[in-house]
Amino acid sequence: MPRLVPPLVLAIVGLILFGDGAYIHAKAWLAQILLARAFERSVAAGEPVKPWSWADTWPVARIEVKRIGARAIVLAGTSGQSLAFGPGHLDETVDAGERGVAVYAAHRDTHFRFLRNVIIGDVIEITRRDGRLFRYRADASSVVRFDNSEIVAATPDVELVLTTCWPFDAMVSGPERYILHATLIHPGG
Amino acid sequence: MDTYDAAGSSEHPLLGRLIKLGLFLLVQGVAVMLIGSIALLVSFASAWSATTEQAGLLQPGDARSGTLLLKQEDGYAEAIRLGIDVDITVSGPTLRARVTQVFRNPTRDWVEATYVYPLATGGAVDTLKMVVGDRVIVGDIKERQQARVIYEEARRTGRKAALTEQERPNIFTNSVANIGPGETVLVQIEYQEPVHQSGNEYSLRLPLVVGPRYNPAPIVQSVDFRRDGSGWGATNSDPVPDRDRISPPVLDPAKNAPVNPTSITVRLKAGFALGEVKSHHHRVKIENPDSTTRIVTLADGAVPADRDFELTWKPAAEKAPSVGLFREHVGDADYLLAFVTPPSAEQATQKPLPREVVFVIDNSGSMGGTSMEQAKASLLYALGRLQPNDRFNVIRFDDTMDVLFSTSVPADPPHLGEALGFVNGLQARGGTEMVPAMRAALTDRLGDTNMVRQVVFLTDGAIGNEQQLFETITAMRGRSRVFMVGIGSAPNTHLMTRAAELGRGAFTHIGSVEQVEERMRSLFAKLENPAVTGLTAKFSEAKADVTPAIIPDVYRDEPLVLAARLDKLAGSLEIKGRVGDRPWSLTLPLQGAAEGKGLSKLWARRKIGDAEVARTMRELTPEDADKAILALALDHQIVTRFTSLVAVDKTPSRPEGEPLKLSELPINLPAGWDFAKVFGERPHAPAQLRERRADARDQPAARRPTPAAPDAIRLPKTATPAGLKMIAGLILIVLALILFVFNRRRPLLTDAA
Repeated sequence: MPRLVPPLVLAIVGLILFGDGAYIHAKAWLAQILLARAFERSVAAGEPVKPWSWADTWPVARIEVKRIGARAIVLAGTSGQSLAFGPGHLDETVDAGERGVAVYAAHRDTHFRFLRNVIIGDVIEITRRDGRLFRYRADASSVVRFDNSEIVAATPDVELVLTTCWPFDAMVSGPERYILHATLIHPGG
Repeated sequence: MDTYDAAGSSEHPLLGRLIKLGLFLLVQGVAVMLIGSIALLVSFASAWSATTEQAGLLQPGDARSGTLLLKQEDGYAEAIRLGIDVDITVSGPTLRARVTQVFRNPTRDWVEATYVYPLATGGAVDTLKMVVGDRVIVGDIKERQQARVIYEEARRTGRKAALTEQERPNIFTNSVANIGPGETVLVQIEYQEPVHQSGNEYSLRLPLVVGPRYNPAPIVQSVDFRRDGSGWGATNSDPVPDRDRISPPVLDPAKNAPVNPTSITVRLKAGFALGEVKSHHHRVKIENPDSTTRIVTLADGAVPADRDFELTWKPAAEKAPSVGLFREHVGDADYLLAFVTPPSAEQATQKPLPREVVFVIDNSGSMGGTSMEQAKASLLYALGRLQPNDRFNVIRFDDTMDVLFSTSVPADPPHLGEALGFVNGLQARGGTEMVPAMRAALTDRLGDTNMVRQVVFLTDGAIGNEQQLFETITAMRGRSRVFMVGIGSAPNTHLMTRAAELGRGAFTHIGSVEQVEERMRSLFAKLENPAVTGLTAKFSEAKADVTPAIIPDVYRDEPLVLAARLDKLAGSLEIKGRVGDRPWSLTLPLQGAAEGKGLSKLWARRKIGDAEVARTMRELTPEDADKAILALALDHQIVTRFTSLVAVDKTPSRPEGEPLKLSELPINLPAGWDFAKVFGERPHAPAQLRERRADARDQPAARRPTPAAPDAIRLPKTATPAGLKMIAGLILIVLALILFVFNRRRPLLTDAA
């Protein structure tokens, strides 16, 4: 009967949209589980292990904020595909623990949703693929434009930046980025 | 299937459809809810713990803005990144600067990086350190060729190495070999420099970028005959044989964000109570721990290396001390540095001699933008200062040249009016053929010995053939005196100082339109007032090697600066001269000298400068001068044309077989310059160019809305449409349900009816 067609179409479109959105979250969640495994194997093996056979990226580090129980496995690179699976390490920045600024970026509504709960003074632990652990303390946050990031790559200190889209609860993507800056806590310091 | 469906629907139209729809909804709903709820649970779990504490996390004031970046698309993100930190400690008459260059390799290749950078003209570079990880490798001074060989050897065998070479007294190159993928190497150089004094004001100048130089094409060839007298020789055709070494790639500011972020700290220990401390081209933060000390840092953090940093300070007292005497004992010798400001002659007793002033203005392409405005303003000011009985002429040059009047004309209103029109109409374009203009200016057509002849030369000095200009001045100066006015954000200070020295004049810098009046006034005070002439220095007891060997005339408000190497620190120093037409003398007991730092290096640097001048003036043969320079450089461990610093890591780091790529680090166009005028029009200039980064004080309107901190990182897009899609989906489902329920009721109602 033709009068049933409009609600049917609406329902299908609605379901597809909802499913698509849910799929993003599902993918992000599932990928992290696979990545956590791959990361542990990477640390053990001492070489990059791909989380699934067709992956074009590999885990490079683990971010952990113990106070709020947040953790995420960071992938190499920040292409759109890899960001769907986990936070990405900006290729042009240094590795964590090296002199300079290491920058990790992730989606505000999936992996870096916890960023809003990180406060200044929190300890951020980064475990590198080689198994070395670096502790950073969050010391500043700011909101910048994506192309005016204020992050200067060549610094003599060991620094870390976690970044995601701003505002946290916006529905559409905008030009603003939230930046959480942290500096290495020197052993014994 | 179709037929069955059709049959079914004809039998139980409403029921069949309802069942199908219900089933479809059920299956879809279950599936979606399953995925959705899991995903939602996981991803929103932390959101539930969100508390109000994050309100304190971000305040509007925290949201700093402003940074510039390298374009990622055009491949620069894949290039070596450089950060610069400059730490200067001023102790009384001298300063020591530590320049740290942070080379970071974000690429996946092994890279050799070269960076061409400027240093202060009078600086003696004596230390090179390379920091790899936690290791510090200290460089050694070696003869240039030898240092090259050591560096090349290290480069080939995969060991990290750094090499500091001098291209000009104010242009140096650092090469760093074998920077591994993802690695950072620090290269640190240190130099010693005297503080500049003029009247009541002390200053330091830290150049940060080498302005692109105009290198004249080889047109006229000279010939080097072989020494064996066989008559065979090679043509030596290029006026700038090392043009490749002083021409690093320059980024077009319309297409690229500034690079090479620089942070600067100056620890100013003046040795006397300080009055005004001022940075002329950068915003700074000044702390005062005590009355004689200031700590100056950049207010905006790192800035792009695109203009000179200039800091001046004045004593709190009305007058600066007129005498300063400092000593240092190194090895078996004592070194002495003396500053003496002679008294200025009283105006009343002096009848100023009429003058013939030839103004030369550079309107080449490198002057385009704010520099041209500054040059014009300076020249207009100068024309206004001429007296009716003076004579003058104006010459403008780019790669062509115009002389306004055939000979110098009286400075009367009609001639001045004509000159004003000529100057106002000038436009910056073309190359910089400076030598013919200098030659024309020095050509003394009037030959009137009752007049003082002065050449005022306004330029940014952006040429590579400095030596040709120096030789022209030496050969043609006659009785003329040459006063140099360095224009723009990054003038070639070496050219200004040496040309003024050879031309027995003085020089000044003008970096912004605001400085024009003050600086030109003080230059005119020098032009109009008689200099202190016939200066000699004599030590009563010590045997001394004094530099400068022949003391130049000293202009008003300028100190006489002497450096000497003594066999013993005893007796006194007597300085004699004539102020105007009266004799003047001053005796300084050497016991009064205060301990100074790095004076031996300054003495050596000045001796090297003397040898270069003597070479230009043909007082020394090139071979003798070169030999003297090399000996001084090796004795005092400083970088010169013939000596370089080289540091080599002992352990190899680049695996054999891995290729090494060369990366010539790009530099910024100096602030206020016009790219198109220097390098020609861009082939595909976009219709809407971004504003050039001009000097803020000159052209506030030309400044970008957000100030720039350079070399920043472009952040990726980090929002998913998940939330939007899910909400839109939910709304549609609810809408569908409402519609469905509404549709279902209607047939029931009609059935009942």
